[in-house]
Amino acid sequence: MFKELKSLLSINWIYLLLILIIFWIGEVNLFSAANGSLDPWAKSQLIRFLIFLPVLFLITMIKPRIIFDLSEIFIFLIILGLISTLFFGYIGGGSRRWIRLGFFNLQISEFAKIFLVLYLSKYFHNLDLKGHLEINRSLIPLLLTFFIFLLIAVQPDLGTALIVLILGCSMIFFVGIRLIFPMLVSIAILLSSPLIWILLKPYQQNRIKTFLNPDLDPLGKGYHIIQSKIAIGSGGMRGNGFLGGSQSSLNFIPEKETDFVFSIFAEQFGFIGSLLLLILFFIMVIVPILKSIKIKNTYIKLVILGLSFKMLIEVFINVSMTLGVLPVVGVALPLMSYGGSSLLSNMIILGIIINFMSADKKIKYFR
Amino acid sequence: MFSDFDSTKIIKRRSFLVIIISVLFSIIIVSRLFFLQVLNGDLYKKKSKQNRISTKITPPMRGDIFDSDANLVAGTISTYSFIFYNYINKNYKEELIKFKNTIYPELDIEKFLSSIPKNNSYNYFFLKKNVSWAQIVKFETNKFLFSSIKIIETKKRHYPNKNFSQLIGYIAESDQSFNSFPVGIFHIEKYYNKLLKGSSGKILNEVNAYGKIIREISVVPPSKGSSIQLTINSKLQNFSQKLIPVNKKGSIVIMKVADGSILSLNSNPTFNSQNFEDRNSTEINSYFNDLSKPMLNRAFSGFYPPGSVFKTLPALLALEKNLINENTSFYCNGHTTIDGYSKKFHCWKKQGHGKVNLKKAIKESCDVFFFELAKLINIDDLSVLATEMGYNQKYSIGLSNEQKGLIPNKKWKKNKFNESWGKGDNLNTCIGQGFNQVSPLQLAVHYNSIIHGGIYPKPKIIKSHDAVFQGRKFNPVHQKFILEALNSVVNEYGGTANKLAREHPNYIKIAGKTGTSQVIRIKESERENNFYKEKVQIEKFKDHSVFVGYGPVANPKYIASIIIENGGSGSSVAAPLAHEALNYASKLNV
Repeated sequence: MFKELKSLLSINWIYLLLILIIFWIGEVNLFSAANGSLDPWAKSQLIRFLIFLPVLFLITMIKPRIIFDLSEIFIFLIILGLISTLFFGYIGGGSRRWIRLGFFNLQISEFAKIFLVLYLSKYFHNLDLKGHLEINRSLIPLLLTFFIFLLIAVQPDLGTALIVLILGCSMIFFVGIRLIFPMLVSIAILLSSPLIWILLKPYQQNRIKTFLNPDLDPLGKGYHIIQSKIAIGSGGMRGNGFLGGSQSSLNFIPEKETDFVFSIFAEQFGFIGSLLLLILFFIMVIVPILKSIKIKNTYIKLVILGLSFKMLIEVFINVSMTLGVLPVVGVALPLMSYGGSSLLSNMIILGIIINFMSADKKIKYFR
Repeated sequence: MFSDFDSTKIIKRRSFLVIIISVLFSIIIVSRLFFLQVLNGDLYKKKSKQNRISTKITPPMRGDIFDSDANLVAGTISTYSFIFYNYINKNYKEELIKFKNTIYPELDIEKFLSSIPKNNSYNYFFLKKNVSWAQIVKFETNKFLFSSIKIIETKKRHYPNKNFSQLIGYIAESDQSFNSFPVGIFHIEKYYNKLLKGSSGKILNEVNAYGKIIREISVVPPSKGSSIQLTINSKLQNFSQKLIPVNKKGSIVIMKVADGSILSLNSNPTFNSQNFEDRNSTEINSYFNDLSKPMLNRAFSGFYPPGSVFKTLPALLALEKNLINENTSFYCNGHTTIDGYSKKFHCWKKQGHGKVNLKKAIKESCDVFFFELAKLINIDDLSVLATEMGYNQKYSIGLSNEQKGLIPNKKWKKNKFNESWGKGDNLNTCIGQGFNQVSPLQLAVHYNSIIHGGIYPKPKIIKSHDAVFQGRKFNPVHQKFILEALNSVVNEYGGTANKLAREHPNYIKIAGKTGTSQVIRIKESERENNFYKEKVQIEKFKDHSVFVGYGPVANPKYIASIIIENGGSGSSVAAPLAHEALNYASKLNV
């Protein structure tokens, strides 16, 4: 089941160091979010990280073949978990998203993203395609994606559900569906957008409206966007310095430890600091993709591509949201937002990525 | 065909696409960051500062107003108010119910809560102003029940003398800004608001997102407004107010001859400024709805045809223009006519005064003499002299709704009615009827002008103001002649107000002129069948009773001007009141 111990040497340690650095920046940021206190966020996030770190190492040591074999079981368990969340889930903030595991509230939907990518990768790998993906062969992945999307959307958790939808469709795209189909779908979505608008809940409509014009409701729905922009903008070129962010310390930024961690970072460290952080994230995403290009195994290729892409869109959506480029949807910033499920799922992802990056490049099929 | 075609090649191509997408994403984010942080950094720094720093305006104490003897007539006192915070305790509604049950049963909780703006979380709201001691004691003993309700000290305007309301006016919260403090709305409070209001202080606090104060950054204390001392004497003001019959509309002005200081200025019916400060809406509504207009100060906003008190003005004009001399006389047989008019112009004395010279015409108030004189006068000259003697102008002494009034000229009539001036208009104007509209204050100024020989002090109400003289000097011989005639009105047998001298020989010796201002025009037919005598019995058709007098005769110190609406004849009603008032002023020696 596990690789030999000496394969630890072939782990990309520099990449692991990068992850540690990003996490550590996140820690410092959570420390500053609490006005220079380890409580309530920095300390407990660190403890989680230390607990999850062995999990990460364990995953890096598993033979890819084992993960490959278990893909169907994982997706089955996730669907089961999502369904039981709907029935037995723990309600917080008006939606049923968590399953209580005694010491830990688990957000199954976070893990659905991983295992959807794993399952679809295996599905496409087994098709052993010799050309473009035919449309009829994308039917099962589409239906599965849409099913999971629905299960999450009804919690309701539109942010996560949308990411699942984007991921599923992206996987079909990666594996080589002809470009005409995504174009047709885009046109269809554009045409049906009035209908989608009607189907959205009023609060979701308001979010989009206030995204387009935050000043419509400066003390209500637009408050997040306005205050976040003020925080980031007031950072200027060099930032207000560590613990120097008044928007953060005086609580003008809501959800500053989760969705808006980037705002308080940018307030303290300015354009230069933000640019450096974004470069680190860029490297974190780009390096595995570049590595995957050389790998012959379709499964490994797709898993790395899919999981990296998942982190890319999460970073992009989260940061864009704090900058007022995209509407506010609850998407966490990987490794930096406070929260156990998000941290664990991203560490699992990074474990898989580190594992698969060191895979034998030339071997096309699992033996 | 593509035997060596490998799906990994497609995936590879798509991987490069993903890299391009991630570069695109990076460009979007970085350029947005650059826009916010580098290009607009200063703007957002300012916004962040605005967020962080709350400026609290501290209202200044309003300046006091004193009467001529430095008695307080408008001041500021402390009261206590219950205030309510809606962010301290989430279950504030329970607290409000407890509060209603134990301390303030009149509280309408639903109405109160609906008056609170939803998004204004860090301010307090007044639950009740002017809390009684009993309520304070009750609250203090139950203090532990309430975390959202507190007592604070608030300032309140205090008007100890109701009789000053018609002069001082009142204040109200200004709705112009959020951090508003009261501004003057009426009369002295309005006119001298700039002086009285003082300057507000400022407290800069660092606040968090919930409005909680983290620390104080700087404090600029407010400074109290300047005080104002009026020329009004409280004792005289109170005395004069009582002189006006309670059920009559009217006003009394008493002015100091030497510098135009208004010593008292009363109007009836009146209001109480304190009701505005106390927000007694029933009373306030009644003030505005009452048909007798208690908000109107009739002394300077009430305009009437002056009647015979006006006659000294055409008399002076005729003398100054040499149209007549002291000895010119006309014959009064009770009426006169104008060539080409069928209408007769009647003297108040039906049987006529016989041969009348100017002095007798003033003393006995003969209308026919003035009708004859009016035929000689150019109305435009009269209007010019009237303006010089204080008519057709506002004095702008600090009272609201002061108006110019009117002594007409030809141009005015042409503009107003598009009619040319008729001879009959001359006649009516010269006996103080017709289009003439004057205020009691203007009448007082008119007589002061005569006493001063033409150059007289403008009326003033602020003690520290210097007297401002205006007007044109008359021939002293003419002035003296008019004063003698006015003396004869009171102090010679046959004078229209001779009764005063006889009834109160021990009072101050005064001179003056009576006036009986007609409210209705009496038709010729009515005059013949005496029907009008019945008609004038109806209250609202009764004549206005007018008197302007001054004393002591030898060395005039005070002028009194009185109009009692629908009071009847000037000699019977207004004149005795003026005598009382002047006598009292002289006793006070103000």
